[in-house]
Amino acid sequence: MSSSIASRSIGILLPLVVSLIVSGVVLLVIGKNPLDVFSLIATESFGNARRIAATLSAATPLLFTAVATAVCFRSGVFNVGVEGAFLVGGLAAVFLGFTLPAAWGFALFPICFFAAALIGAIWLYVPGILLAKFEVDEVVSTLMLNFIAVAITGYLVNGPLLSPLSGNNVTPLIHEVAYLPRLMPPSTLHAGFLIGLVCVAAYGFWCRYTPAGFEGGLIGLNQRFSRAVGISVPRTIVGVMILSGVIAGIGGAAHGMGQMHRFSDGFSPGYGFTGMAVALLGRNHPIGIVLGAILFGALASAGTTIQLFSNIPLDLVNIIQGTVMIFAVVELGRISLRRKKGTANAG
Amino acid sequence: MFPAKDTPTSLSNNNQERVVFPRAPDFSHAREAIVLSTDRSVALGAVDLHKSYGATKANRGISLSVMRGEIHAIVGENGAGKSTLMRMLQGVERPDSGHVVIADKPVVLNGPAEALALSIGMVHQEFMLAPDLTLLENLVLGEEPVTRQLGPLSRIDWAKALREGQGLAESIGAQIDWQRRTSSVPVHILQFVEIIRLLRRGCNVLILDEPTAVLAPPQVEELFDLLRNLRANGTTILFISHKIGEVMALADQVTVIRQGKTVFHSTIAETTGPEIASHIVRDAPPLETSPPPSRTVTGEPVLELDGLSARSLEKSQSLDNISLQVRAGEILGIAGVSGNGQGELAECIAGLRDTSAGNIILQGADITGETTLARRNRGLAYVSADRRHEGLTTAASIETNVIAGSHRAPPITRGGILSRKNLRQEASKRLAALKVVFGKVTDPADSLSGGNQQKLVFARESADNPKLMIASQPTRGVDLNGIAAIHGLLRDFRDQGGAVLLASEELDELIALSDRVVVIFEGRLVGEVTSPAGAMAQIGQMMVQGDAA
Repeated sequence: MSSSIASRSIGILLPLVVSLIVSGVVLLVIGKNPLDVFSLIATESFGNARRIAATLSAATPLLFTAVATAVCFRSGVFNVGVEGAFLVGGLAAVFLGFTLPAAWGFALFPICFFAAALIGAIWLYVPGILLAKFEVDEVVSTLMLNFIAVAITGYLVNGPLLSPLSGNNVTPLIHEVAYLPRLMPPSTLHAGFLIGLVCVAAYGFWCRYTPAGFEGGLIGLNQRFSRAVGISVPRTIVGVMILSGVIAGIGGAAHGMGQMHRFSDGFSPGYGFTGMAVALLGRNHPIGIVLGAILFGALASAGTTIQLFSNIPLDLVNIIQGTVMIFAVVELGRISLRRKKGTANAG
Repeated sequence: MFPAKDTPTSLSNNNQERVVFPRAPDFSHAREAIVLSTDRSVALGAVDLHKSYGATKANRGISLSVMRGEIHAIVGENGAGKSTLMRMLQGVERPDSGHVVIADKPVVLNGPAEALALSIGMVHQEFMLAPDLTLLENLVLGEEPVTRQLGPLSRIDWAKALREGQGLAESIGAQIDWQRRTSSVPVHILQFVEIIRLLRRGCNVLILDEPTAVLAPPQVEELFDLLRNLRANGTTILFISHKIGEVMALADQVTVIRQGKTVFHSTIAETTGPEIASHIVRDAPPLETSPPPSRTVTGEPVLELDGLSARSLEKSQSLDNISLQVRAGEILGIAGVSGNGQGELAECIAGLRDTSAGNIILQGADITGETTLARRNRGLAYVSADRRHEGLTTAASIETNVIAGSHRAPPITRGGILSRKNLRQEASKRLAALKVVFGKVTDPADSLSGGNQQKLVFARESADNPKLMIASQPTRGVDLNGIAAIHGLLRDFRDQGGAVLLASEELDELIALSDRVVVIFEGRLVGEVTSPAGAMAQIGQMMVQGDAA
């Protein structure tokens, strides 16, 4: 047990260390002292309570998208459509948040979250059933659905749902009663962060203490074996896709109701994809996911302020982020190898 | 370059860096080993070979002298170190210490190509022939005779290739139609082609790795005749086997390997089968080789197949109109040469392969369209022929493997919550009941030996009181101790009123266990033997020819 914790920690730390070395070299080349820059980044992301709150706030959407990704990756299903489900879920919650009467008060929370979960579930049910019944490659179908989600939401916020008070790209604000409470004003850290932690914990429970989670892990390791012991592989695939959509949709709702309070064209700057990197970096493990989300949250929050206090380009933070992702994706290579092997064996 | 006779030979004459033995080697052992037979030369040998993979000592002192012109058998259990030895003799692996000897000289091999250049050829269990080419094309592939040397513009001299092939086939007494497509040729002919290909490349020492594993009894006889002809022509043969009967019938010398060491060597004339067996495994209970007394089975039919057919998918064998019945308290054996449909039939019954016609009836209920889960709930258990990929998830823990399938049933899952505690308790109970030897229940199933892996599969499959057990190649890759245990399990299950459908390529096993044997050939049932004892020849005939003639 302890050795597996050790190997997990190495799995998380190694990409980080390597990316620090790479960006250290880049800094030396442009004539900066890497240690100064790294300590500045650390201060900017964890230096005081306000900075920590900003980091956690940036980590919040990643908790959801990483769990939504991990649910599928753990079961050997290559769902890259979390981004799309996050967008449609967020728009659904926001739409109800400004359309339903404000007088409904706190009842808006469950309604908006439920709607977001439902539409997220439907959104990923489609590629799930295509994969389970017709063996349509889920990488292709979910990737394409992302483009469709961007296009649909983009059309809606520029057309039917465009705010009358605004030129383009944004919906009206949701009713103030539907704002998720802020945890540490004036920071934007909101109750969505706690909901995210609950999702991570629920995911950990699902993996270990539910028969469906047990089955998901098994089909991720060996589909032929799972079939032979009576597990329905198609049903499990559809199940994890729906679950992934529910979590991604809830994530979109939390982001819309806690952070943005409206939907705009740039609602998600790729949270779905960063979440994928977080899930891979965290080896699909709940604790790994939390740490990974905080790491990426720190880089994002430091990146926005670091330019203000030094002449270090934002691109440098992006380089660190990129290299962490690359080394996190080494894990992806391992999954796909396993998958190919499984297919070959099945044939 | 190599002045003295006893200097180690390296093939890389043009590459000084690879010349071997940086320190002065001590060949006194080598001489001792070679002295076994004073007046003849050692074609292929090994002197005190050691090889470890990490903490596992695969070979720890193997010495071997294969005399020129003899057939030498190496026997040992799975995991005794036979394949590691072969890899070193062939140059695939380098020994940690000790030497390989070829033609009386210690050598260091840097790969199979160098072994081939020294006339050592290996026939693997899986043949290295391209299925879409003709036999003749496969024969010359990689070393084609050409009409004139024009580099890439050379033309292949097919007439010469055919002459060579026919000449070699004739010299060893084989009949081969060289123009046939490889995929349409029976497996024993492919084996001959592999051998001829090595002969054409100038090999005079052949290593055969369990060559009879894929053959039916009459084909084995043909192979043995051919090997005897080869020996008469002066070819040396190293023959790996775990079947003592074959060794006694064919070999001149025998070497037994146990736990990575040479433990016994003798000429065949001076030893007996039981003596060899006693060296292969010291602590194994004697296998029950005499077939059981003929029993009359009167139980109710548990499984009935009525005109079952299935289409061929991705090169699998199709099934054609199969009808049979297995009663309670009966073991029905399915005999057949590998690839004739036994595995496909087992998969159809387990619900893992679609059928195209006919019915499967389990205890009176038609289950043809039901899911695997529904069939299991009715009392079906399935021991897959592919233990490592279907019988187990080798990367998952032992407890997961022994519970999977029962994980939704109480007490493991109650009210939708899976109790890890109850899961572990149930797993330990099942493992203990079948005396599976393991480290921790959280270790991966990969950490178990072959025999214990298969016992784990039986522990899972027999846990829920099944009525019918489909056992497909249940002892493949299992050591002798494990085989005895698994045979005991199957007999106990039968004696307690269970029905067993047993598919095995080991005819001895089928005959020892089965109350009846049916023979499958190209997806059809071609015959039934109601008292299998003593019917080996009859069954073998049907396995190969598809009729009892």
